[in-house]
Amino acid sequence: MAELDLVVGEGGPAGIAAWPIGKTKFARFGYGLIAVLVLALLAFSFFQPIQVLPRIALGPGFAFVDQTGQRLTNEDLRGHLVLYTFTYIGCQAPTCPQTSQTLQLVQQQLTKIDTRGLPVDLVTISFDPEHDTPAQLATFARQLGADPSIWHFVTGEPATLKNVIGGNLGLYYNRNADGSFTFDPAFVLIDGVGIVRAKYRMAELDPAIVQRDLELMASEARNSQGAARFAYEAAHLFLCYPQ
Amino acid sequence: MSQIIVEQPQLQPEVSVETPVTPKPQHNGARAWQAGGLAVLLVMLLGGGLWWLRPHPFHGVLLQSPERAPNFSLTASTGAQAQLSDFRGKVVLLFFGYTACIDVCPLRLAELTQTMNLLGKKAEKVQVLFVTVDPLHDTSARLQRYVTAFDPAFLGMTGSPAAINAVTTQFGVFYDQQATTASKAIGHTSTVTVVDANGYVRLIFPGGLSTEEMAEDLRYLIAR
Repeated sequence: MAELDLVVGEGGPAGIAAWPIGKTKFARFGYGLIAVLVLALLAFSFFQPIQVLPRIALGPGFAFVDQTGQRLTNEDLRGHLVLYTFTYIGCQAPTCPQTSQTLQLVQQQLTKIDTRGLPVDLVTISFDPEHDTPAQLATFARQLGADPSIWHFVTGEPATLKNVIGGNLGLYYNRNADGSFTFDPAFVLIDGVGIVRAKYRMAELDPAIVQRDLELMASEARNSQGAARFAYEAAHLFLCYPQ
Repeated sequence: MSQIIVEQPQLQPEVSVETPVTPKPQHNGARAWQAGGLAVLLVMLLGGGLWWLRPHPFHGVLLQSPERAPNFSLTASTGAQAQLSDFRGKVVLLFFGYTACIDVCPLRLAELTQTMNLLGKKAEKVQVLFVTVDPLHDTSARLQRYVTAFDPAFLGMTGSPAAINAVTTQFGVFYDQQATTASKAIGHTSTVTVVDANGYVRLIFPGGLSTEEMAEDLRYLIAR
């Protein structure tokens, strides 16, 4: 507005010759600015300079028992990035999907993953509490070479397990007459505030994808502050998801 | 033939060269003014549009769940059966606790009371639901006395231990089931979950937010 006032004020005979050029440039500048803004928005949604993982839903609340007999709750894992999978010790290859193998590979690669100092935990939930006691889970963990400070093997009350796996996460599992289980092999990634950020419904998960997704979560958790928060929110708004 | 052609172009420049010199730039100037004005207007409109569309800087933790919050049916402190879906059209604040709780529950409920006061008349568009994690001791009557002491509009919710277990799991709330006796404190998640008027989980209010910050987020959710 101040600029416009100035223009009117100087609109004398001398100004007439000079201003048309100035105004034309000004008009071009205006249109150019609009074009740049529109292009920037298009480019942002197309090239996705910032990628994020969707904030899918609230993760489960739970209190389980781990392989050491200690209680493990979702509150204990607050502030951690956690990859969950579901199985039972009696799960035999090749008919039963070996989801623990993926976690084994992820554990081996954890040192290569840049999580900006955020702790990463792996949790294997057994839906067979009758057979998979903490002692059994401890043996299973040793066989897999699990680092007890990172990888937790837990189980709990049948009702709690059903609420967590079937109810909150929406994953199917059912006990067969012979004691084996039929289940949807899956992995779930939950962030530090307890929000589900990825659900991979598959028997084997490429550790490279886990690495990519953990790093995306970590950089958002660390960088999404101040003005950068708007950029991250825009990334959510324009669905700048990997793949 | 050739002479006539030569003369005509000579005549025209003579007329046009002298007079239009000054009007021509004036004409261009007026156009430039219009174009410039239009450009300024467009920039202002676009800027205004972007400003209006700018993401609200939420203080709570944002979610964008593609699915509605899981529904539940519990006994309200008024004695009637109530479902989460009964409150569509209102923003629902879900908080879990128990009446014998001496630390975080009264503190958080007092904060929510203050937040409602900050909202003024808009508080009518918000429903606070206090779900007990101690269903064996917290009867409807006991819950009613407890929550209405904070705000007469607050509702308590109770149910069977199995129903409470299912609801807490769904909403990411841990509570210490081993400690559900009146004599012992029950550790539990103390965040507030915000379900919008359409039934989607939109926000989590972690501890440490001011009442004004919560009120700001709620004002935005009520307006949309």
